[in-house]
Amino acid sequence: MNCSDWEERIALHAGRDLPPAEAAEVERHLRECAGCQVLASGLKQSLALLKEAHDEPLAAAHFSAVRARVVAELEKERRPLWQRAWAYGLAAVAVGLLVMLALRPGRAPVVTRTNRSLTFAALSPPAHEQAGNGGEVVAPLHRRVARRQASRVPAPQVVRTNVSNGEPLIVKLLTDDPNVVIYWIADRKKGD
Amino acid sequence: MPKITYTFSLLRQFYLMERMKTLALVATVGPIYGPEDRCGPRGRPLEAAKAGDLAAFELLMRQYERLVLVTALRLLGVLEDAQDASQEVFLRLYRNLSRMEASSNFPGWLYQVTVNVCHDMHRKRCVPAPMEEVAELPALTADPQRTVVEAERRRALEMSLRMLSEKERAALVLRDLEGLSTEEVARVLGTTEATVRSQTSKARVKVRDFLERYFRRRT
Repeated sequence: MNCSDWEERIALHAGRDLPPAEAAEVERHLRECAGCQVLASGLKQSLALLKEAHDEPLAAAHFSAVRARVVAELEKERRPLWQRAWAYGLAAVAVGLLVMLALRPGRAPVVTRTNRSLTFAALSPPAHEQAGNGGEVVAPLHRRVARRQASRVPAPQVVRTNVSNGEPLIVKLLTDDPNVVIYWIADRKKGD
Repeated sequence: MPKITYTFSLLRQFYLMERMKTLALVATVGPIYGPEDRCGPRGRPLEAAKAGDLAAFELLMRQYERLVLVTALRLLGVLEDAQDASQEVFLRLYRNLSRMEASSNFPGWLYQVTVNVCHDMHRKRCVPAPMEEVAELPALTADPQRTVVEAERRRALEMSLRMLSEKERAALVLRDLEGLSTEEVARVLGTTEATVRSQTSKARVKVRDFLERYFRRRT
C-alpha cells in the first residue's frame, strides 16, 4: 500500500478519530514507516499549536461590547408605548395645525339664506350685479379674479332677498375651480 | 395616611423580592466568566429571560459569549465581523427563547446558528479581509518576547484557517478547536459523520502543510 493512502487515516489518528482497531493498524504502519512518522508528528504539532492559539483568552472588552450592543438593540425593540407617544403627539399637533390653517377666518364660507339660493362666493360681486339678479348668481368674471388671487381669498359677501315659504331651497356652491359648481336643492315646508 | 404607608410597605416588599430573585439568578448561573455549561442553562434564568427579564438574558449571554464570539472569530477571521455575528446570534436566541426548554441543547443550537450566521456573512462579504490585517502584531506589553510568540502563533492560526474551504474550516474549528465530537459536528453542520471525518482529515493535512512552509520561511 502506498503511503499517500495512509494520509487520511493518519490525520484522523492525530485527532483520535479512529476506532481502536483502525488506530492499532495505523500505529503498526507508523512503526515501520519513517515518512509517515514525520507526517504524524507534524500533524500533532500543528494541531497543538492551533489549540494553544485558540485557547488564548480574548479581552473582556470584546465580549462586553457585544453584550452592550445586544441589550441596546433589545431595549430599543421593547421600548414601551408611552416612550413612543411623542411621535403620536407630534402627529396630532401637525394634524391640528393643518385643520386650523384650513379653517382660518379668511377662508371660512358664510352661509346666506335667500328665497331661491344660498351662495358661497369666492369673491364679493359688485353691487350692480347683486341688484340685477336678486342675489341668486355670482358673476363668473370674479372667478377669474379669484383664480389670480388664489392665495388670499376674501370672505364672501352675504346676499339676502325676501324668503317666501313653500319654495324649494337651492344652495349653489361656487368652488375655486370655475368648472365645478355644486347645487343642493331641498324642499321646504311652510313655516320653515 | 395608613393606606399610603401600607402601599409603601408593599412596594418595598416587592422591591426586596425582585432583588432576591436577581441574586438567586446569579447564584443559579454560577461564575460569570466560568466555562460554558454544556448541559444548557438551568431553568430559572431561562424562564426569567423568557418572561422578558433582560438582566436574566444578559446572564445567559455571559454564559455562552465565549462559545459564540470565539467560534465566529475562527470562522470569519476578523474581530469586528465576529462581533456582528455574535450580536445576530444572541438576537436570534432572544427571539427563539419561547421555543427553548431548560433541557434543550443550548450549545448545539448556538453552534449551529453561529455557523449559519457566519456562512451568511461570508457570502455577503464580497472582498475577503486582507492578509495584512492578520499579520498585524499587537502592541508590546510587559513581556515583549512572550507577546511576540503569542502574536506569531495567533497569526499562524488565522492564516492557516484561511487556507481552508468554508466547510473544512467549520469542521476543523468545531472538532479540533472547540472539541466537539464528530457526531456533534455532523449534527451542527447538517451532514454525515463520514463527511465530517473526510473534511477534518483534509483540513488537518492542509494546515500542517501550510504551517510547515510558514515556519520554514520565517526561520
